[in-house]
Parts: sequence; C-alpha cells; structure tokens
Amino acid sequence: MKPTLDWQIATITDSKPETDKVKSFTLTLPSWTRHRAGQHYDIRLTAEDGYQTQRSYSIASEPEREGEVDITVERIEDGEVSTYLHDVVINGDKVEARGPIGGYFVWEAGLLPAPLLLIAGGSGVVPLMSMLRHRHAARANNATALLYSSRSFEDIIYYEELERLGRADSGLQVFHTLTRSQPAGWKGYARRIDEEMLREIADPLGEAVQVFICGPTLMVESAANGLVKIGVQSNQIRTERFGPTGG
Amino acid sequence: MSEERFVSRGFVGKRRGGEKKERIPPGQYLTNDFPVLSAGPTPYTPLDKWTFAIDGLVKDKVSWSWDEFNQLPMQNYVVDISCVTKWTHLDMKWEGVSLDILLEHAELDPKAAFVTAYSDGGYTTNMPLTHIINGQSFIALKYDDKPLAPEHGGPARMVVPHLYFWKSAKWVRGITLMEKDRPGFWESAGYHNLGDPWKEQRYWND
Amino acid sequence: MEETRDINRELMLDANGVASLLFDVFGAEMTAEKTECAYCGNEDRMGTLLAFTHGPGVVLRCSACENVMIRIVQTPDSFYLDARGAVYLRLKTHRPPPPNDALGG
Repeated sequence: MKPTLDWQIATITDSKPETDKVKSFTLTLPSWTRHRAGQHYDIRLTAEDGYQTQRSYSIASEPEREGEVDITVERIEDGEVSTYLHDVVINGDKVEARGPIGGYFVWEAGLLPAPLLLIAGGSGVVPLMSMLRHRHAARANNATALLYSSRSFEDIIYYEELERLGRADSGLQVFHTLTRSQPAGWKGYARRIDEEMLREIADPLGEAVQVFICGPTLMVESAANGLVKIGVQSNQIRTERFGPTGG
Repeated sequence: MSEERFVSRGFVGKRRGGEKKERIPPGQYLTNDFPVLSAGPTPYTPLDKWTFAIDGLVKDKVSWSWDEFNQLPMQNYVVDISCVTKWTHLDMKWEGVSLDILLEHAELDPKAAFVTAYSDGGYTTNMPLTHIINGQSFIALKYDDKPLAPEHGGPARMVVPHLYFWKSAKWVRGITLMEKDRPGFWESAGYHNLGDPWKEQRYWND
Repeated sequence: MEETRDINRELMLDANGVASLLFDVFGAEMTAEKTECAYCGNEDRMGTLLAFTHGPGVVLRCSACENVMIRIVQTPDSFYLDARGAVYLRLKTHRPPPPNDALGG
C-alpha cells in the first residue's frame, strides 16, 4: 500500500478575495506532490491548549503549477476554520496540510478525452475550476461545458477568469444560472437547474459525455436525476456532495 | 526528546469552559444550538401508522397509537444534554411522557434487567433498566414548546439526559425488555456501553 | 407545493467527503475502488456511497438501497470498523507483483 500521507507545514503565501464571502489562498508546500484536478487537501489547525480541528478543501489550482496549491474557502458565519482563514491568517502564516487526497472525483486531460460536462452549485465550482485550469494548461481540446449555478451575480466565484477561458477557447462553453436575483440586462439562465436546461447544454456534447457534478447535496441529486431522465447513463456521471455549508 | 507540536498562530477554536463550567461535563463545550446528528436519512412514519410498544420480557406486549399516546399524562422537563460529539446544551425544554408511566402499563418479567430502545430506520441503543426508571427518562413529543421536528427525532424520541445523547433514540418506536444486555448501533462499534458524561465514558475501555 | 425539508439528507455527503478518513483507516486511496453491497448486490465505486458524517461515527450507505455498508468510529487511539454491509473491499497495493515462482521452495 502507498506510504502514509504525512502532514506537512504549508506556508500561506498569497490570498485573494473572490466574492465578499469567498477567498482563495495559495499554500506553498515543502513536499508538493503533483495532484489531479478534483482532489483535495486536509488543513489542520491546533490551538495553544492542544485542541485540534481539520477540514478538507478542494484544490482550485491546476497540477501544472508546481510547489504550491490554491484553495478557495467560503466564510461560514460560525465556522471554526473558515473564519480563522478569512479573519486571522496573513501571508507568512503556516498551517498543517496533508494531501492530495481523492481518487474518484478526478479528471485528467490525457486519460479522459471525452466531451466534458461540469455542473457546479455555489462553492462546488472549486474542484471543477481545477479541472478547467488543468484543461487549459494541458491544451486539451475536448468539447467542454460548465453549468454554474449561483444565487446572484455577486456570488459567482472566478467570474472574470471563466469569461477569459471561455473567450480564449471555442471548445469551452460557460453557462451561468442565477437562481435568486439577476442583474439588469442579464442574458444567462435565471432558474434552478432543470431537465430543459440540462438538455440544451448536454445535447451538443453528445452521448459519450462525461459529467462531474459538485455542490450542495440537494442540487447534486437533482442535477444527476435530471441527467438520467434525459438519457445520460449513471455510470457517466460522477458526483461530489459538499453538504449545505462548508464550515 | 519531546517533539514540538505545531501551533496555529491565533487559532482558538470553539469556546470551551467559561461560565457555567460546573454544569459542563469533562471534555465538552457549551452551545446554544441544537446540532442535527444522524446516521441516515430522516425516517418518516405517518402518524396514523405510528405506534409505541413495550415488548420483550413482559407478560403481554403493550402498544399505543399516536392518539392514545397523546392521551397519556405529559410533563415538562428542563434538562442539560451532552452529546458525545462534545457539545453540551443546558436547560433544554422538552415535553413528554415519563417511562415510569409507560412501564406501569406493562407487567415486567422479574428477569428483565436491560432495555433496547429501537427506532424507525433501524437504530438501536441499550441501557440497564435501572437507568430509565425513577424519572430518569421520558419519551419527548415537544422541544421548546413546539412539536418535535423530524430532523431531531420527531414525532417522538426517547430522552435519557444523564447519559450521552446517543442513548436518546430519535424516531423511537418502542423498548424491548431483555435479560441480557445487547449493545446497540454505536455500542457495538466502539462506543461505551453505558455512556455517563460525568465519567467521560465515551468509548470502550474508558 | 411545499417541499418537506429533510435536513439529514441535506447534511449527507458522499464518500468523497470522507476520503481522508478512509485513507487513515485503510492506508489506501479508497474512493475510486469498487465495492459491493451485501444487501442488494449493487456494485459501484466507494466514492458513490452516501456518507453520514454528523454523528458519533461515520456511516456509509449503499447509494442504491441505502442500507448501512460501513461504520467507522474514531477514538483517541483507534478506529473501529464494521464493514459487514460490504461483500468486499479492495485495498490497492503498490508493491510490484511477486515473480511467478514465489510460491515455490
């Protein structure tokens, strides 16, 4: 069996607000191992009195970036770890990290050349962003669509970068749906993901499409069931449920 | 040579101790929340099919329908609850029927020494009979003056405040009186057979 | 129509959410491995198992029939594992396969 995954002390070398509740952090890792898009790192915090707690965060960055990983963290009001990361941590601070972990919800450009449908709900977009950044860095050209559900325009994480990626690559389509409120002149979808929306987006990708869905449990189940209803086989669909909140 | 443990600068974590320390069992932290804990999806039984039963080592099995159960004398309870996942919530308000009243309706075999509480969804937990009588446990129908919510075990759950909260079986449908103790869902997988929070009886060998 | 909200279902994850715990218990990456439900025979990758993590232990249920396949309890110095609900678990080794005559004298 593989050697144990060890904890290492990572240094936070950069941070960047994505939305008013979401921040990305760059962790420089002394023992960086090339990850696969979709995997995650565990982050562990220890207080002076020995109290420890840990959380898993999906890697947001592409494996092609060596020596460091980005994580993207939503600040949860009573969350022990997310509030620490958002409110206390400064560049130069260290956290214990362990990874990369995950073997099921992963995508590698070389291994899976099929058309790709990525469906994200809220902060579920993070592992899918790793896949898109990896796809770009690997210069993959499989037809790909991202369907990203957010509550409002202000909640969309990585908006500008997704626009750039979509413009630069005709093989990538980015679709947004805003479920609670839409800005004036909004041209994207404006409702919860449903079969009609899935059909419009999945049909052009063809029968061999591979699907990755990540987000809150109910959204993931609803999207997966919708896809099965429009004829996508369940063994073509991989899901990662994030639960209702991060923490 | 001792290993220096890594400490995260400025990390405090959940508040532990503080005021009311003497009412908080060892290793617990105080919360005003009511966390939802579960081993599975919420089971649902329509009230017209719901029953509560006392069976096993009793002369005759006794059972109440939902309407019959609601005719039983109810009491108000204000108790401190400690969950083995480390939260303690003080002064939780419940309304329900004492196990003493329910057991009055059954004729117990003298060999009955243990109970297994069983629930919709398959959950079980076990206790000595001596730990549920004499006002030590009740079947709760209301929490905080409202009907018990499904995610917290509604329509009815057992509450055994002096033991860790995993003994307070959600979605309870009955108790079986037994001669021999039979470890329940968590007791058979590492959790302490009794579970006294003041003795910090969390796991086997505690 | 008002949807009855099942908070327990909303808190549910899949086994991807406990990949680290599975690694700690088994010493191997488990989520991509297949397993078979002892109740209904459904065979699928462990990543698809429904995971209930808000409780005294972790419960993994078959995504087809929702019966309990695996229970894991973590204490300060050990893991308790009940995998009776799984017909098999596969732990991938990374040692090279032995040469053909390894069983010989």
